[in-house]
Amino acid sequence: MGAPLTLPAVGDDYTARVTELKAKRSKNLGMGGEERIAKQHQRGKLTVRERLDLLFDKDTFVEFGLLASQQPVRGGETDPGGTPADGVVTGHGLVEGRQVWVIAYDFTVMAGSMGAVGEQFKAARVRELALRYRKPLVWLLDSAGARIQEAAGSTFAGTGYLFADQVVMSGVIPQVAAMLGPCSAGTAYIPGLSDFVPMVKGTSSMSLGGARLVKAATGEDVSDHDMGGSQVHCYESGVGDNEVADDRECIDLVRRFLSYLPSSNTEGAPFHETGDPRDRSVEGLDKIVPVNPRAAYDVRRVVKAVFDHDTWLEIKPAWAKNIVIGFARAGGHAVGVVANQPMQKGGILDSDAADKAARFIRMCDAFNVPLVYLVDVPGFLVGSQVEKQGIIRHGAKMLYATSEATVPKITVIMRKAYGAGYYVMCGKGYEPDVLVAWPLAEISVMGPEGAVNIIFNKQIEASDDPETTRAQMIEAIRAQINPYLAAGWAMIDDVIDPAETRRVIIRGLEQATDKRVDRPWRKHGNIPV
Amino acid sequence: MTEVKAELVGSVWKITTQPGAQVAEDDVLLILESMKMEITVNAPRAGTVKEIRVKEADVVKEGQVLVVLE
Repeated sequence: MGAPLTLPAVGDDYTARVTELKAKRSKNLGMGGEERIAKQHQRGKLTVRERLDLLFDKDTFVEFGLLASQQPVRGGETDPGGTPADGVVTGHGLVEGRQVWVIAYDFTVMAGSMGAVGEQFKAARVRELALRYRKPLVWLLDSAGARIQEAAGSTFAGTGYLFADQVVMSGVIPQVAAMLGPCSAGTAYIPGLSDFVPMVKGTSSMSLGGARLVKAATGEDVSDHDMGGSQVHCYESGVGDNEVADDRECIDLVRRFLSYLPSSNTEGAPFHETGDPRDRSVEGLDKIVPVNPRAAYDVRRVVKAVFDHDTWLEIKPAWAKNIVIGFARAGGHAVGVVANQPMQKGGILDSDAADKAARFIRMCDAFNVPLVYLVDVPGFLVGSQVEKQGIIRHGAKMLYATSEATVPKITVIMRKAYGAGYYVMCGKGYEPDVLVAWPLAEISVMGPEGAVNIIFNKQIEASDDPETTRAQMIEAIRAQINPYLAAGWAMIDDVIDPAETRRVIIRGLEQATDKRVDRPWRKHGNIPV
Repeated sequence: MTEVKAELVGSVWKITTQPGAQVAEDDVLLILESMKMEITVNAPRAGTVKEIRVKEADVVKEGQVLVVLE
């Protein structure tokens, strides 16, 4: 037997090392220091760590890379003041009990600029793990863009993985880009490729080139806000989804958005009991929807009346308002709602409306969220102006998306269902699981006033009293436009009392729970993007 | 001065205001007809109707000025 083993000394040295660790952690948790934090607050913004507290359930955030900082690149200097976490906080936490990954830029550290450590190691690791575990990824964007000190020059040749990763993740895990500050240059493609993009009014902006770059490249003098604030992207361009008042509202909205989606495309959408009775008769629709098919109303009132109380989350409410899209619950089931909006442009479909609906329909289909179509559409806008915009290819996107979707689809024809408008709103040919009409429904290729000139042109011309003949012919055609003709042919499944709409939708969703559609093998289709 | 423009191509079905009228935000100024629908054109803000640049049955283009408020 030899001498007993001598263990290394435990004591002062060990404690000193743990103390050193704690000091390093504490420094980096302090972000860019008190002065820059005060400045962040002055701008009306929360700090990155305040934002994470709002995003995640209490005490669930697990951080990766807290001790990271800027490293010397090509022999260059690093910031002598230190760059806590290299300006980006990464990790995972729980949102309503479900794991979500986050990449959150810290504007108090080098303006949240994207450095080599933050991007190539920290953010890349989060993308890898979120995909590995099939969990949603949320970006909290507040960043000046690429850290040019580290990125300028032809080592740029080795970058760009971020967006390729996002494309691989698209339709596999939900991706959210919360716009809480600037997001300029190439990084604007993060929201460009994300499923949901809320924007804080006043403080957030996004543009392919920031103001200084624009000035240098083209001479245009414009601020980041004027070029790419929420007033541009949530109202005019359609790149942003929902404009919100502040950081708190933004992060609340992110949590709500995620509540309607599964963690990945391998799961069903989460069910939440809402307490709203399944068979509740929908009262008051007669006071919302006018019988006169030419008269407008706000379809959002119908949505709120039909679906579970307080579950309606409208997406892109301020852009292409002639179509309404959003999430709601029906008997606790999450659904994506697509509804024509007669109050805006008469609910007529145009290029932006088709584009807006198509992208939403594809998101719902990718993430197994059933679709409910509420139809009241006079058709697609016609004429030389819209042809120049390429309405055929834009309209074809919506046709494609509706046709391609294999999630349960419920179609309720409330009033008008004209022409290709009926098709893109999931008419008979587009595999609705339930297709019903209200007694007010008008299903036809076109209205009687338009049809009469085509069908009875010769009779009208030959008549001694063309106006009377025209009026008679219009009435003859109008008599052919009623839902009982379609129901008589069993082309629609039923004509329902509007009050039954909720119950019919819920039964339809449950009827189609085990829906399975097999398409012929292909690499992918060729959507007219 | 605010120019109220047509949101889409159509014809003027009814004019429901007149020059000199005081209007509140969201008041209906006129109604267009397009694709079988009555499309109301509302005042974007309160003001006085300075000028109505169209008459009933006129065909209007998207972006065409219909009414001027001040």
